[in-house]
Amino acid sequence: MDTPLTLQNETLHSRLLIGTGKFANVSTMIEAVKASGSQLVTVALRRFNKAQAEDDLYGPLTQLKHVKLMPNTSGAMNAKEAIRAALLGRELSQSRFIKLEIHPNPHHLLPDPIETYEAAIELAKQDFLVLPYIPADPVLAKRLEQVGCAAVMPLGAAIGTGKGLATAEMIRIIIRDSQVPVIVDAGLRAPSQAAQAMEMGCEAVLVNSAIAAADNPIAMAAAFKTAVESGHAARNAGLMPTSEAAVASSPLTSFLSTHD
Amino acid sequence: MNITLNGEAHTHQGASTLTSLLDEIGAQKEHTALMQNGNVIPATDWSNTPLNENDQIEILVFVGGG
Repeated sequence: MDTPLTLQNETLHSRLLIGTGKFANVSTMIEAVKASGSQLVTVALRRFNKAQAEDDLYGPLTQLKHVKLMPNTSGAMNAKEAIRAALLGRELSQSRFIKLEIHPNPHHLLPDPIETYEAAIELAKQDFLVLPYIPADPVLAKRLEQVGCAAVMPLGAAIGTGKGLATAEMIRIIIRDSQVPVIVDAGLRAPSQAAQAMEMGCEAVLVNSAIAAADNPIAMAAAFKTAVESGHAARNAGLMPTSEAAVASSPLTSFLSTHD
Repeated sequence: MNITLNGEAHTHQGASTLTSLLDEIGAQKEHTALMQNGNVIPATDWSNTPLNENDQIEILVFVGGG
């Protein structure tokens, strides 16, 4: 049995966080969430439109037992807008979780560290459980920890690119220095990359596109579930040290050559 | 009464509360978050919060997002 993930006063029995965007339809998304075992899923806010009532996920998601909703602040261009989005999200989610994301440039969707930091300070003061999406910057990660974020979520690669753990070296430094859980968010494509993140010492990963855009999202969700569990178990088991020189696994006895 | 609803001009016919506006447009209240002139209004206050001429109202729902 995996050890639970603790985020301030919240306990999750899955280390896989799931995004709900980009799925072909709601029923596939719901089945993928179930297959993933995730207990924390992200949602976005959008203007009400009666003609698109089928896009409203509140009903389907609140039917899922043991799953909490984490609204994101997607669309916010600055700290002020992100705080507003967070307050709106909390009205609906009835949870303290907020995924703080401020990425004003649609071409690269990279987080704005200054606005993110400003928003995090205010949201932590307002008793949100803040999970900020950030560049893989150890200095920023430490500053966000110090202002009360529940975790830090550095990107592995740009959102939706599937380029994996392009920032692995920086994430290692963040993990080494961090007193709060480190969660890789964005960039993952393959379950092996999620396993690698967990082996490095991440406490969780957040995956959306890799599942939603798979040929079979439900099967991919299950694959990520086992990869995350496996990577975490491996980290707890303690990976062997690396060595520059070869170290034999079999006895190098000379019984074969002594009879020449 | 003329307001701006989700960024577009809207004429509201009913009683001048937030609840009557939500009823008019057919929003499911328990699925909805609401902002009036930039302020988030909790659902418990909708029935007794007046809707005023030229109000800027945003009505929001949860959709898929990462």
